[in-house]
Amino acid sequence: MEKKSYVKPTIVRHSIGVMNKYGRPPATVPMSRLAGFSVKELVGQYGSPLYVLEVDQLRQQYRNLFRAFSTRYPATRVAYSYKTNYLKAICSILHSEGAWAEVVSGFEYDIARNLEMPGDKIIFNGPYKTREELTRAFTEGAMVNLDNYDEIQVCEGLADDLGKKLPVGVRVNMDLNNPPWHKFGFNIEAGHAYEAVKRIQTGGKLDVRGLHIHVGTYVDDVNIYAAAARGLVSFYTYIKEQLGVKLEYWDMGGGYASHNTLNWAWQSAEYTCPTVDQYAEVICPILLNGPFGSGDAPKLFIEPGRALVDEPISMITTVVAQKRLPGGKRGVIVDAGMNVLSSVQWYNYNFQTVQDSGVTVEDTILYGGLCMNIDVLRQSAALPPVRRGEHLVIPHVGAYNLSQSWQFIYLRPAVIAVDDGKIHVIKARETRDYVQQMEQVPEDFQTYRSESRK
Amino acid sequence: MSEIFSSELTMSKNGFLFDHGSGLTYTLNTTGQLIFNLLESGKKSTQILEKLMTEFDVTEDTARKDLDDFYRQLKELGLIDQ
Ligand SMILES: Cc1ncc(COP(=O)(O)O)c(C=O)c1O
Repeated sequence: MEKKSYVKPTIVRHSIGVMNKYGRPPATVPMSRLAGFSVKELVGQYGSPLYVLEVDQLRQQYRNLFRAFSTRYPATRVAYSYKTNYLKAICSILHSEGAWAEVVSGFEYDIARNLEMPGDKIIFNGPYKTREELTRAFTEGAMVNLDNYDEIQVCEGLADDLGKKLPVGVRVNMDLNNPPWHKFGFNIEAGHAYEAVKRIQTGGKLDVRGLHIHVGTYVDDVNIYAAAARGLVSFYTYIKEQLGVKLEYWDMGGGYASHNTLNWAWQSAEYTCPTVDQYAEVICPILLNGPFGSGDAPKLFIEPGRALVDEPISMITTVVAQKRLPGGKRGVIVDAGMNVLSSVQWYNYNFQTVQDSGVTVEDTILYGGLCMNIDVLRQSAALPPVRRGEHLVIPHVGAYNLSQSWQFIYLRPAVIAVDDGKIHVIKARETRDYVQQMEQVPEDFQTYRSESRK
Repeated sequence: MSEIFSSELTMSKNGFLFDHGSGLTYTLNTTGQLIFNLLESGKKSTQILEKLMTEFDVTEDTARKDLDDFYRQLKELGLIDQ
């Protein structure tokens, strides 16, 4: 007689409040294939954990965002925020779609140039730019947005050295959110931004051509962008009148949300995350009412990061163990840790089963595989029974997790890209040699010293 | 009623379990239901393990581990004592 297929036994207490009508559907519909390939086979070939990029989806994200803004504000350019994920293959795909590069350090600048992005398609932001980096950027025609007075001074010195007036942008901030983002640039409400622009213009060595604001990250309230756009328009009107500044561009920064649910959010992202059209619809009409005639509008830059790369990348993980915690809750340990999923600080990721495990779910705490107590990937997830060796897929992990990953006790995973049914390895799994290649052991450290070694 | 459970329990055909003592309710999946019925009819854990292995396509290791976890869970939920 043929035996029945087996499911791990479960008993789940009915309770109020664990799941509610706003909750996600439980992850009981198995997702056995990813990007057209069997999850099991992908792991068999490339190992676990594994990041999987769907190239077509990345292109679609870009095209959709560009369409939303450029149909409402024709002179729109998208500059991809490199820090979100600066794998060369990802930057290259976005550049092939027409994206400029938005960089915040000399290292990122160098990545863009190495990919043969011309200097005049690079926006250089960030609070710390060295004199050498600034020299390179100005010489190569990059757009430089200044963050503080020290930087203004360095750039004035550079203008002297280079013997010409240098075009600059000024980073500004406003009291828009709680807590406010005051770190970057000069505050408008306190009058600092006006003082800075005045100081630059009267210095005679630099010329203000742009304004830049970045209102935050994962800003799912479009009203914040509306307030920022209104602020930019009135500030521009004022510096145009008072100081004769004529802008070539304004830059609304990044921060557009992706489909991930924040840890403290009551409703899931499916309900709260604005569409790119909703962002564009509040920003563009306000900016188009700025102090300029038709056909004379400054270029609009946006610097999306997570809105482009979060969703096209998933991570495959493998269950390595499970345990029953005091109190009865189930704990599941997977082979990926928070070192390669740093956004667990912000997001309640969705953990999706790959194999059919029945429809009964149980409240589960998901642990990463690091030997650290804080390595919790999700405090509470409704998961069906899973066993060692089975896989869980975490969708929408493309933003920040790779660029902020750190190497700790395990080798970091490979990244593959699926394009038109073909698989490309865009970053190989690390090796011990790779991790240790910058290290040296001085010979003297190894020579025998102690009696205790006998 | 079997000796093993700490209070009076009734399970419906589709795995809905009612605890008459506490008023709490539970859902068991099919494997859970089978084990519950065997426990209720007074079967020992070795007999239950054997039954799982003859009935299902499962290795002894997995079945034993899952049974242990299931018993731990019943205990944590206060449905069995030992
Ligand atoms: C100046 C600037 N632009 C763009 C971004 C991208 O942000 P996000 O990934 O939230 O779109 C950042 C990130 O913090 C930033 O600092």
